Amino acid sequence: MKERMFFDVGIGKSEIKESYDVVIVGGGPAGLTAAIYTRQSGLSALVVEKNLEGGYMNLTELVENYPGFTSIRGEELGSKMVEHALHFGAELVTDNVEKIQVEGKDKLVHLSSGKTARARVVIVATGSTPRKLGVPGEEQFRARGVSYCATCDGHFFKDGHVIVVGGGNSAFDESLFLAKMVRKITMVHILEKPTADARLREKVFANEKIEYRPLTELVRIEGNEKVERVVLKDLKKNREYTMDVDGVFIFVGMNPNSELLKDLADLDEWGYVITDENMETKTPGIFAVGDVRSKGLRQIITAAADGAIAASIAARKYFET
Amino acid sequence: MALLDKEVSKQVKNMLGDMERTVKVLFFKSDDESKCEYCSTIEQLLAELSELNDKISVGIIDVDGEEQEMEEYGIEMIPALVLLTEDGKDLGVRFYGIPAGHEFSTFLQDILVFSKGAIPQLSEESLKKLQGVEKPVNIKVFVTVTCPYCPRAVFTAHQLAMANDRITASMVEANEFMELSAKFGVSSVPHVVINDEHFFVGAYPEKDFVEEVLKVAKG
Repeated sequence: MKERMFFDVGIGKSEIKESYDVVIVGGGPAGLTAAIYTRQSGLSALVVEKNLEGGYMNLTELVENYPGFTSIRGEELGSKMVEHALHFGAELVTDNVEKIQVEGKDKLVHLSSGKTARARVVIVATGSTPRKLGVPGEEQFRARGVSYCATCDGHFFKDGHVIVVGGGNSAFDESLFLAKMVRKITMVHILEKPTADARLREKVFANEKIEYRPLTELVRIEGNEKVERVVLKDLKKNREYTMDVDGVFIFVGMNPNSELLKDLADLDEWGYVITDENMETKTPGIFAVGDVRSKGLRQIITAAADGAIAASIAARKYFET
Repeated sequence: MALLDKEVSKQVKNMLGDMERTVKVLFFKSDDESKCEYCSTIEQLLAELSELNDKISVGIIDVDGEEQEMEEYGIEMIPALVLLTEDGKDLGVRFYGIPAGHEFSTFLQDILVFSKGAIPQLSEESLKKLQGVEKPVNIKVFVTVTCPYCPRAVFTAHQLAMANDRITASMVEANEFMELSAKFGVSSVPHVVINDEHFFVGAYPEKDFVEEVLKVAKG
């Protein structure tokens, strides 16, 4: 903690009006951009975020591919976007959306607090959550050494040896974050080549604390009260072996948070929401943007782009007479 | 050097502009750095906050010599922060450790709720269920200041404390209380411990959080 003391002001709001032109579910880059564009069209916008505005960006150590920022901490980019949305008069509330109900041309957005917001257009930007690996021991040792969030839990493994599972951008980014506090990291990935971007790969491979083992599968997690060791499998030699570790960090992809739309939109085989090129679902006036949407590239910039498209098209289609 | 930079100060001032009544913040501290690494930082943070809004009134209790007051508020470790309403009522809302990082937002939100009469921001259904809690409930929410899921858990726990006098809810910053964190086996946050016997991990929605409390309160 000492290395960087920061102060997140949050939004501190819990009151909402009864109706808005556009209600946006989720306060990550897609939702916040949708809010900015909605306000710029002169419409009222409410963003409902259940955890922390900025969404998954808060967990990204460094963002180095968002134009205009050579290198920026994810959490900082997130708070800049929040500020931007608030600056243009979007309202942000901390609450959880339980249900979206269609009532004629309107939609009713029911919140966990018992409140309801009415809107003509709803933009769903609920993102995705880390996927489980599905190995023995994973559930048993969840919160006892198994983690899906290095930013949250890295501190508990100070000077320890942790294993990181996965070969994508998340696994590589979070390993670099973990390397600042742990003694040693072993990364395992079932494929020969990591899918992470070249820049991240270079940084990881140059880091003395990180050892990358390709073609290696995590078979099970063992221990008594907490994680003590893992059983790994060398897929090339088809041989199993154990390794003592203090913690297991799993970054093996994401599952879409599309539950809210399961009756209102079509989902693809992975559960991602299918939209037309304007981000609209099969239910008129309900849009899906960002990581929850079925698409080819999930990045902060594509999330933001989705939000801009949805909000602009919605303004034109539903509010211009 | 100021802890809150110009930009953050502006945002805080703007946000606290909504305050209606005075909120008292009691800070239990020690000047002995070996006992309390962050006490001087917290003291500075509180000074900067009260500078931004005069409705925040800070009371500092140096625990070396003020054991009585610690007992009165049931404070067992430092640094500790207790929020009180304008007329000095203790609703069981506590912060152990520095409310920095993402927890700063929880601290500000709590202050705002207190300044508006400490009306818990919970659904009627939850409030009704919580009225039925008759035995003392102590909730500890272990957090790290870099955890973006944690503020929600702390804020919910604090609302529960406001809803029933028998409920006390504390944020515990795990890095500052490593031994306690180890004792409760904390390795993933938010890690919520109820009456030192029951725990769950994750930012549960309000409804589920209340159910977890009821499990212990009724058992």
